[in-house]
Amino acid sequence: MDDKKNQLIAEQVERWDLYARLTPTAFLLSSIILIIFDIIDFETAFYVGLVGFAITAVVWWWWAIFTIKYLITTLNRASKNLQEVNQEVKAITQEVKSIRNES
Amino acid sequence: MNLNNYALIKAATNIISGFSMVTLIVLGVAYMSFKNSFVYQDVQIQIINNPVTGDKDIEFAMIGSKRHECTSTRVYGTAYSKDNRAILLDRFSKQYVRNTTPGDAIPNSWSLVKPKELSPGMYRVSITGEFVCTYIVFKQEKIQSYDNILLIVK
Repeated sequence: MDDKKNQLIAEQVERWDLYARLTPTAFLLSSIILIIFDIIDFETAFYVGLVGFAITAVVWWWWAIFTIKYLITTLNRASKNLQEVNQEVKAITQEVKSIRNES
Repeated sequence: MNLNNYALIKAATNIISGFSMVTLIVLGVAYMSFKNSFVYQDVQIQIINNPVTGDKDIEFAMIGSKRHECTSTRVYGTAYSKDNRAILLDRFSKQYVRNTTPGDAIPNSWSLVKPKELSPGMYRVSITGEFVCTYIVFKQEKIQSYDNILLIVK
């Protein structure tokens, strides 16, 4: 379950990375071409960019919140498991010591 | 594609994307600043031949500075009487200087023909200018008004 979820998050990060690398340049170039050929004016490009920027910011924000929540839960679980292992190692050490003392 | 090429393409797209983002932000901020700015700053308009008598024209004097390159497409005045009657003043007997240089406070003057319906009395005059302004790659139509200029007709 965790492996599947981790894989999903890794894929999502890859997709965000690709989106961040391609979108600004693609938007800038397409806007320049559309403005040069008088298909849209600068105001339209400005508002389309603003709406795109706002949607990206909101979607990324919620994605980041849920991902961070998941990572913290995973980290807590791992930390709890480590503590249990630590307790067990301590108990075994005590037992080994007592066995040695008895012999 | 080998690992070296992949890393190179990734780095190049990162740099290009960064520059694109900076360009978009700079252009966006410049556009907003340009769109919201007034045509004239520190502007003052007065009628210099008050009271206007007989068939004399109404003479205006103005001083102000422009931030951007702006061309006026239409300038007109409206005289409001005490009972809020509006009289259009749009016949120029002396033209104003167009395309004044941006940056400096440049004096300008013009004269408008006194219409026949402008009977003796006191009026509040509004001068409205319609402009086409350009800045870097932007072009914007703007309207700016200057109100409450006292006109006395005798």
